[in-house]
Amino acid sequence: MTDTYTPGEIIWCSGCGHFGVESALKQSLKNHSLEPHETMVLAGIGCSGTIQNYIGSYGYHSLHGRVLPTATGVAAANPALTVIAAGGDGDGYAIGCGHLMHTFRRNPSIFYIVMNNGTYGLTKGQPSPTAVSRADHEHELDALLMGLTISGSSWLARGYVGHMEQLVELMDAGLKHVREKRGFAFLEVISPCTTFNDNYPSWREILVNLDADESYDKGNRATAIGHYAELIASGKTPSGLIYEGNASTFEDATGVTADNPAALQNLTVSKHIGKFQEYMDAYTM
Amino acid sequence: MSSPVSDLSDNKEGAANTDIPETISDINVMVAGRGGDGSLTIVTLLSRLLSRRGFHMCTARNVASRIKGGHAAAMLRGSLVHRWSMGDHLDVVVGFDAQTLIEAGPRLRPGSVVIYDSSQGEPHPDSLPKGVRLFTVPFGRMAVRDLRRELFKNSFSFGVVTRVLNVEDSEAISVLSGYVKRFSKNMAAANVAALKEGFEFANELGLTEGAGLLPLEKSKHRKRLLMSGNEAAAFGFLAAGGRFFAGYPITPATDIMDWLRPRLPEFGGVLVQAEDELAAINMATGAALAGVRAMTASSGPGVALMLEGIGNLGATEIPLVIVDTQRSGPSTGMPTKPEQSDIDMLVYGGSGEFPRIVLAPCDQRDAFEIAFRATNLSQRLQCPVIIALDQGIGQNSVTMEPFDMEHLSIDYGKRVSAEDVAKMKSYKRYEITEDGVSPWAIPGTPGGMSLVTGNEHDEWGLVSTQAPNRRHMMNKRSRKIDLAHDLLPKANRGGVVGASIGILSIGMVCGAVREAVERLEQQGTDIEILEPRTIWPVLEETKDFVNSHDRTYVVELNHEGQLARLITSQGVPAEKIVSIHKVVGKPYRPHQLVEEIQERESSYD
Repeated sequence: MTDTYTPGEIIWCSGCGHFGVESALKQSLKNHSLEPHETMVLAGIGCSGTIQNYIGSYGYHSLHGRVLPTATGVAAANPALTVIAAGGDGDGYAIGCGHLMHTFRRNPSIFYIVMNNGTYGLTKGQPSPTAVSRADHEHELDALLMGLTISGSSWLARGYVGHMEQLVELMDAGLKHVREKRGFAFLEVISPCTTFNDNYPSWREILVNLDADESYDKGNRATAIGHYAELIASGKTPSGLIYEGNASTFEDATGVTADNPAALQNLTVSKHIGKFQEYMDAYTM
Repeated sequence: MSSPVSDLSDNKEGAANTDIPETISDINVMVAGRGGDGSLTIVTLLSRLLSRRGFHMCTARNVASRIKGGHAAAMLRGSLVHRWSMGDHLDVVVGFDAQTLIEAGPRLRPGSVVIYDSSQGEPHPDSLPKGVRLFTVPFGRMAVRDLRRELFKNSFSFGVVTRVLNVEDSEAISVLSGYVKRFSKNMAAANVAALKEGFEFANELGLTEGAGLLPLEKSKHRKRLLMSGNEAAAFGFLAAGGRFFAGYPITPATDIMDWLRPRLPEFGGVLVQAEDELAAINMATGAALAGVRAMTASSGPGVALMLEGIGNLGATEIPLVIVDTQRSGPSTGMPTKPEQSDIDMLVYGGSGEFPRIVLAPCDQRDAFEIAFRATNLSQRLQCPVIIALDQGIGQNSVTMEPFDMEHLSIDYGKRVSAEDVAKMKSYKRYEITEDGVSPWAIPGTPGGMSLVTGNEHDEWGLVSTQAPNRRHMMNKRSRKIDLAHDLLPKANRGGVVGASIGILSIGMVCGAVREAVERLEQQGTDIEILEPRTIWPVLEETKDFVNSHDRTYVVELNHEGQLARLITSQGVPAEKIVSIHKVVGKPYRPHQLVEEIQERESSYD
């Protein structure tokens, strides 16, 4: 066996929610029988942006806020890979928020896991876009509600590290969505920061589990938006699988397939000379 | 470096007093009017005519940054000698608005012919220099009256232009017929009718067949490409195995994306129009990381946004080609106007220190080879390779010999397969090697798992801030470039070999320099030309060139003489460099350089 890297030492504080995300992801990769070389984990900047170091698969540490465009590039290059993007709420909802909206629109088959803790932990506790009761009186952002309103979105869920069984189920379903090339799977995980925003107890009160609500129609965008908004207005936060639908995907648009990825094309110049000549002919005077 | 240099200002735009020759082997034409007037149609027809007669061609546009309207001009130079830029004078001007005469005025000379659409009124008698031959025809009004569509004024005026050039009517008809084949039968016939009506008008103006004022010469037709540098660069990338492009629209670089958009899918590739330049460079980075040969292209403001990403490519050792089709800056600047003022940014921009290569083509045809080699080099050295284009090279089309595809080969560098990995004792993505380049297994390769990060890292890709590791990694990355000078494109050379005076330029300036040097030689001033194609690192050949000449003129389109400053920074004697630069949003004309150099040379006598 050829030696490769040994996963790095975890930097998170004791009790950090991210441990739950990491173990759920590992469990889910195992449930899907994915080999380390078949998976690429890309992460942003922040505490959560080290998760790729602990998995053992191909890993990439993206620039702050740019994990989604980078992951889109990987997915475009080689659809045979299972592409997982991960990061925090600062990375995804502040500096990278623009890309999130456009990734919903584009709908590439990428599994995006946001570890939401409402704070910038690594820089010592500044408020993030999801922080409540802020000193600066800015309002918080709800990325799932935003995602629901974008017509290309195809899979939206929220998990909680305090509900590990459900979290693994959501990871399994999200991975299935992207492995079947049905588009972008977006999972926000409530993952409290024990050092700067330790709100574990409050989430048990606030979360409403839609997976347990048999009357909830996860395939109906309009009623999903309405129900979501009502829950928020009443001080609750929806969790579980919030929306699952069929929207045309990035793979549909680009025509890329796992059988014939852009990364593995035959580049030999002589093989394409006829086509190149055709292009030159169009410019010939 | 000789300090403050006079800016070659617009009042020198006026051409030298040379007479128009009796027969025309080098012709400059401008067709202008309101955007949408169809100026390009007449120029297209003329380029077909000139091509049949064996002329080389250069084209240029002068447009406002708007979709329609505004004053827009299309320029065409045809010459039996191969030229790479516009000439000094305008020999024939077709104008559909008053602004045309204001723009063209300084570049007309005695004998030049102006054909003016007087539908909106006669031109002011003082608006043209003495000796210019003016013909006014209400093309627009006549086209509407007789042919019921104003657009026919183009075919109409083409008839007058061909008479001026002493082209037989049958040849003009044949050129037009070839062009309008793409239209419906009725439309094609109507255009030919308009052309014939144009002949009638020419007769009334005294321009009868065979009595042309500017008889156009004829040579043997040769098949050549008429292509812009943006197109050639996109083509070179594709030929080099480029299969992914992400970009965001920006003038004057968008043509690259537009060229690749329909073509990449034909080769199993992908093009993504990103939401911004940050997304574009990171998408391209992701694709490159996954093993596709990738490119992004933009202009100054967009490349400024990409700088963080370019530094990241250096640190992570991901191969990517980045094109900057430079325009007038700073900030939004003058989007449609040329400049070469991003040199500092491309060479020095970004946080920290990282390996990079900056290349610049010396003409449009060279953009193909530079892009081809940039793509290979990025793979070979696993680093960002930047191509400095400019608006002139990027958007002006010139005729060129077809590309030689037979001798191109793909350099895979240190890519390793699953079989290669299996034979290794260990696979380290950032293994320290003699040449600084590490073996690279792309994601998906069994056994080749790796961590890639812009954090400082050890050989495995694990984050490390240890001092010895930092030293090794910084050295490894810079060694890649230090040891690669032999792989980098060498300069194009010309002029008088062994002359004691040198001249140095890149990109769109080279064409005017070549022509100016030729004229200076005829006047007794010998100058040797160097057109560096690798700007960074500065190669020994560039330093040697400066060192071996008494003085070297460095001619560039920017305000601060960035190229001169860059070369001087590499230890050549500053007093040997004479910097010539300007930023008026216009290219150099050959005569401007001739006059500038004559003036400076007189101070050395």
